[in-house]
Amino acid sequence: MATLPAHDMGSAANAFRAEVRTWLAKNWTPENQAAHRRKPFKERGWDAEFSKLMGRDGWIGVGWPRKFGGQGCSVTEQLAFVTEMANSGAPVQAHSTGESIVAQALFKHGTQEQQDEWLPAIRRGERSFALGYSEPEAGSDLAALRTRAVRDGDHWVVNGQKLWSTGGDKAEYIWLAVRTDPEAKKHAGISVLIVDLHSPGVTLRPSLALYGKTFSAQFYDNVRVPATNMVGAVNDGWKVITDALAAERVMIGGTRMAGIERAFDRLTEYLKTAVVGGKALRNDPVVRDRIGALAADIEIARQFQMRNSRLIEQGKVPLHEAAVGKVFASELQERLGQAALDILGTRGLLSEDAEGAPLGEMEQLLRHSIMGMIGGGTNEIQRNVIAQRGLDLPR
Amino acid sequence: MSDPGSEVAAGLTEAERDILRKSVRDFLASAWPPDESVENAGDAAATAALWRGMARQGLTALGSGGDGTGTREILLVFEELGRAACPAPLLGAVAANLVLSRQSSNAAQALRDDIHQGKAAIALALGAFDGDPAAGGIVLHGEIARGELRFVEGAGAATHLLAFTDAPVGVACIAAGAPGVNIRPTPGLAVPPFSNIVLDGVSAVRLNTARDTLEETAAVARLACAGRALGAAQRAFDLAVEHSKVRKQFGQLIGQFQAVQHKLADCLIGLDGARLALDSAAEARDAGNADWPVFASAAVAFAGPALRDVSIETHRALGAIGYAEEHEAPRHFRRVHADLVRFGGAPRARAELADYLLGPVQ
Repeated sequence: MATLPAHDMGSAANAFRAEVRTWLAKNWTPENQAAHRRKPFKERGWDAEFSKLMGRDGWIGVGWPRKFGGQGCSVTEQLAFVTEMANSGAPVQAHSTGESIVAQALFKHGTQEQQDEWLPAIRRGERSFALGYSEPEAGSDLAALRTRAVRDGDHWVVNGQKLWSTGGDKAEYIWLAVRTDPEAKKHAGISVLIVDLHSPGVTLRPSLALYGKTFSAQFYDNVRVPATNMVGAVNDGWKVITDALAAERVMIGGTRMAGIERAFDRLTEYLKTAVVGGKALRNDPVVRDRIGALAADIEIARQFQMRNSRLIEQGKVPLHEAAVGKVFASELQERLGQAALDILGTRGLLSEDAEGAPLGEMEQLLRHSIMGMIGGGTNEIQRNVIAQRGLDLPR
Repeated sequence: MSDPGSEVAAGLTEAERDILRKSVRDFLASAWPPDESVENAGDAAATAALWRGMARQGLTALGSGGDGTGTREILLVFEELGRAACPAPLLGAVAANLVLSRQSSNAAQALRDDIHQGKAAIALALGAFDGDPAAGGIVLHGEIARGELRFVEGAGAATHLLAFTDAPVGVACIAAGAPGVNIRPTPGLAVPPFSNIVLDGVSAVRLNTARDTLEETAAVARLACAGRALGAAQRAFDLAVEHSKVRKQFGQLIGQFQAVQHKLADCLIGLDGARLALDSAAEARDAGNADWPVFASAAVAFAGPALRDVSIETHRALGAIGYAEEHEAPRHFRRVHADLVRFGGAPRARAELADYLLGPVQ
């Protein structure tokens, strides 16, 4: 046994999980996987054709309400789903931002026309989105954003600059936070637009992030966006952005946890038989102590995740609880990456395609852990949330 | 459906557990008030009176089963004892109840009744099942016990000693005042102090008990102590949070400083993680999940360092105000550290997880 015992997620989620596995066995075959792995690392995880295949068979929007064409799955079932998908390594990034963030906002703030236009296409895997939130002067302090949209007839005209949009160089659309009232208080003058990234005036500059995939800066120079692409009322964008976050955080957490557990299982599986310098690594007391500590931490991260889903299913919004889960899991990923380096030694630095690499994904896991601690609100901001919202400490 | 607990038939409902928690907390607030707990801890008569009061509350029967309470409720009550800095001899009672519920002899039945009525108080020594290699042990020759037991809690107020042994496997039940019993308190971080007990050919009632039962009882004792540490750490933390909302320095509340906010945020992560994991392990045992010892190891492995950190950080937030022994915080500091290092502590729990994942050392 090289993995911690699983928690029983309940019979419905277990059955659902089995259904996902069956579908993956048929559609995410060893040949598909081999072909996917032949792609450069920065291209992996994003596959428009695979997204369409998932859409065809109803696997996009499983957690959406039935009236929008979803399966109405519970949070626990959705977690089972994202865990299975992450474990399989199947590429879901081409549709995931649209499926979760954009669709969640459209359910609540979209007009009938917008719902009819976007939701079925997202569900079929035919629309890909990136997020346009951060700016040079607006990172943790997102509400300080300055990208400007000015009304001109049936259009909004956008000018400004965005940063760090994951998938920006692959997506067709961007979910763009813009300032529509510069006179209002900073949270009050924000709106959200869906912008076609191929519009005239959009310049994209991708750069490679430490974890091996790209994120992009964009420059908007008098970009004309149809007024019908504004989601939510003018100047009501802060609500549109924040409303969809709770469930989304839990799903991102689910994917992160699956990645951590899979890497840990691979590490322990390797350690069971690895012999280095004539010594079995599994007998090293330092290695054993480190593995025991990480195993306990993984169990704790699972507990935080299960608490978040329980809260959502009880109709509550996990706020500081979601922050707790995010901080703990992302820092656990960092600890796991560091531990792997200590255990594997210099060989731990080798990438998966390097000769003699024992477990090439571990160094990538470590590089990736930084994103978990920064993205979606830095862990320092999360700790502010825990202190101020969870403990009611004064601001 | 997402909540594994909702499918578990055994144990109390969440609402019943809330009622139990409130009633134990209210009882301890009046029977063991925080401002008297230091002097009361050294007073055997006070502890005996408390114990009779707990019997009237039905708490001395915890571990007997049959009343719908299970491991989760044991942990809940230990958490409250930790919160109240209360040294009630419940650890011995729970272990005795777990062992005695499988015994049918008249002597076992009589002892169980005495425990439930608060007439008997048990000091527990896990001996060879302790997990700390320095905990000592006894050997039974027929009905005669010999050996030395260390780190025994509650010996001062005990009427009986319950000693687990593997020579041969079983339990010795010994009257605390029997000839040949030599109890010596050993002062240290734990308050009240542990005791060394030397048994020099002492007459014992021998209870034949399976090794599995002894191991499982020892594991429950370990979880219970972790639960007690959690209660103590949480209480000290609550004091620190309140303090940070009223204490001003440099013209502002110290709770406004990000250095303090992040410290306390990290404490909450530790406390919540320990609570969820301990509860989940207890719940797994109550549900008959064969993997419960793995979850218990994980809970103890996390709780050890996490709750000790909470205890330290709590003191840093309280500053010198919380450093005086007349303040409540130091007794929680003592409790947290004493309870978490026992039974092999977190290193043993980590080793158990490594055994599970990597197989035993070869």
